[in-house]
Amino acid sequence: MKIQRLGLVASVALVGSLALSACGSDNNASGSGSSDTASGSSSNASAADCGPDGGGTLNAEGSSAQKNAIEEAISSFQDKCSGTTVNYNPSGSGAGIKQFIAGQVDFAGSDSALKKTEKDGKIEADEAAKYCGSPAWNLPMVTGPIAVAYNVKGVDKLVLTPEVTANIFNGKITTWNDPAIAKVNSGVTLPSQPIKVFFRSDESGTTENFTKYLKAAAPNAWTAEPGKAWTGKGEGKQKSDGVAGAVKSTEGGITYAEWSYAKDNSLGIAQIDNGAGPVELTGDSVGKAVAAAKPDGEGNDLRLKLDYATKEAGAYPILLVTYEIVCSKGKDAKKAELTKAFLKHFASEETQKSLEEIGYAPLPAEVQAKVETAIGALS
Amino acid sequence: MSSNTVRMTDVAIVDEPRSTKPAGATDGPATADSGGSGGRRSPSPVFGHPARAREVKDHLARVVMWLAFLLALVPLVWILWTVLSQGYHLLLQSEWWTNSQKGITSRREGGGAVHAIQGTLIQGLTTAVISVPIGVMTAIYLVEYGRGKFAKAVSFMVDILTGIPSIVAGLFIYAVWVTTLGLQRVGFAVCLALVMLMVPVIVRSTEEMLKLVPNELREASYALGVPKWKTIMKVVLPTAFSGIVTGVLLGLARVMGETAPLLILGPYTKAIATDLFGGYMATLPTMINQDRSESLQPAVDRVWAAALTLILLVLLLNIAGRVVARFGSVRK
Repeated sequence: MKIQRLGLVASVALVGSLALSACGSDNNASGSGSSDTASGSSSNASAADCGPDGGGTLNAEGSSAQKNAIEEAISSFQDKCSGTTVNYNPSGSGAGIKQFIAGQVDFAGSDSALKKTEKDGKIEADEAAKYCGSPAWNLPMVTGPIAVAYNVKGVDKLVLTPEVTANIFNGKITTWNDPAIAKVNSGVTLPSQPIKVFFRSDESGTTENFTKYLKAAAPNAWTAEPGKAWTGKGEGKQKSDGVAGAVKSTEGGITYAEWSYAKDNSLGIAQIDNGAGPVELTGDSVGKAVAAAKPDGEGNDLRLKLDYATKEAGAYPILLVTYEIVCSKGKDAKKAELTKAFLKHFASEETQKSLEEIGYAPLPAEVQAKVETAIGALS
Repeated sequence: MSSNTVRMTDVAIVDEPRSTKPAGATDGPATADSGGSGGRRSPSPVFGHPARAREVKDHLARVVMWLAFLLALVPLVWILWTVLSQGYHLLLQSEWWTNSQKGITSRREGGGAVHAIQGTLIQGLTTAVISVPIGVMTAIYLVEYGRGKFAKAVSFMVDILTGIPSIVAGLFIYAVWVTTLGLQRVGFAVCLALVMLMVPVIVRSTEEMLKLVPNELREASYALGVPKWKTIMKVVLPTAFSGIVTGVLLGLARVMGETAPLLILGPYTKAIATDLFGGYMATLPTMINQDRSESLQPAVDRVWAAALTLILLVLLLNIAGRVVARFGSVRK
């Protein structure tokens, strides 16, 4: 009797809560003030752009560096193609590749192309090819520039060479009016303030890429091995917003951070002079550096070898390229079709342009054309 | 009542600190008007003022206890206050309870948590449906039938299961489900990992409740010629019912907040998903984890709000557990 009554109450409560949550909606498109550029094209999206009829679900996992970019692309893709769902879990490049090889995701996002050298008795590229039954392709998709951000009163334009940058970040240059800085900034009045360097105290791909740049472009000044953990001088702060926030509130501060953080905090962004004149950080200048990168793969495997020490005029050298890693011949026809449709949307000029607003640089035209060709060849 | 009496005597004694008379033989409570703040107490005539030392110790212990209590309270209040103040405003929007996060990016406001709430509830209930019969039946075996080596082994295994870190449970299921069987990571795999965590909790709490059932009830039942299984079904279980339900609800509250197995087995999705055997399913812990490292305000707000939602959900279950315990007990 008692039990029955309790059971009744419990089941009513459970059914009620389920029923409540079951009337939820996936439709977030209306009234949310979407700034997606692709939403305008929703009416004329042909079926071919959206993969198989009836939509479907794609699962992807990997690099957290491209999280915001792919989120934006997913959002506009889903707006365009109702019935499709794309999931991206930013669990890190290594985890993404592992899950891809284990057949858990449809494509992986990674900060670096699949390795062709042996590590722990396994070659990533071969493992991936074995899983796919066909070569796995690395498609460069998102370009994330790293800004050298500073906060010095009255200095709107600052030029840094790799040597000067390395010496600032390893503590050899300690004041803003140091002759080495003044030499590359003629005509700028630099204060005698001490330089306060902030670095990422957590392990970070940004640190790795920045130190890779310093090592490649100024090997004499930067002797430490590049890595995810910071080896230079300065004060540590957690995460990108930590360092950007610290520079914002500290006069004389300098740090390295993803472009979007420097922009969001309206910090000064140094121009980098690799030897061919100072280069401002813009979508175009980053694109030039990507375009100047040497292709390192065969055919449609578009792995890039970035040249951090590039002397290409107008190319901004401190950047990171993230790839999407896909099977060239998909295992499941429907999934492959949907993957193709999504990547096509991601690589499209429209989507790439929209990424510039949120701190990523669009792929330069020639690389983008190659990526589109490669996506067209996916089957 | 009794403390009052003691105090009266104490005060009476205080009046004659240097008396050589035995403590009991004072002039009685007539001198109780001597302040009686309870501050100074019973100096023994023989040993000088050991009462002062006792008093100090008493105070010291009291202060330390209160400090410890306050210290334990600090993080609790702090967490609750932070989560509440940072997360409440999203919970007040109806969209939070009706919409998913599909199509919402870290830069955009809007969307809700219904996909995650639903996922947490579905996975929690499935876990309960699997673990409750196993757990309760194991407990019945241990209390009512189990004798000898096998019962000891079972009890020992339950102890070991209790000590398993949740991440190990998650990795174990991953090894079985994904690596060995080659299946996809789905909601049901998460449930299996959570079952491993929930079963020992239920076994232990049910065991305690069954042990509390007075043996006289069982004996009375046997005396009437009722078979053992019927005694358990009709006498023992109903008597312990409210306690068992409380244990189940507390166990459920615990696994709902569990994160480690979810990170390994239950990837996040922003869309509403109800299929336990296909595709990803969002849960509140994974929703929190997804934007954990984000610094964009809309995403940060959502993390706080999701945390508050989870706390509320677990709180509701806990309250339900207490209510059942209070009103569900069989009248003696």
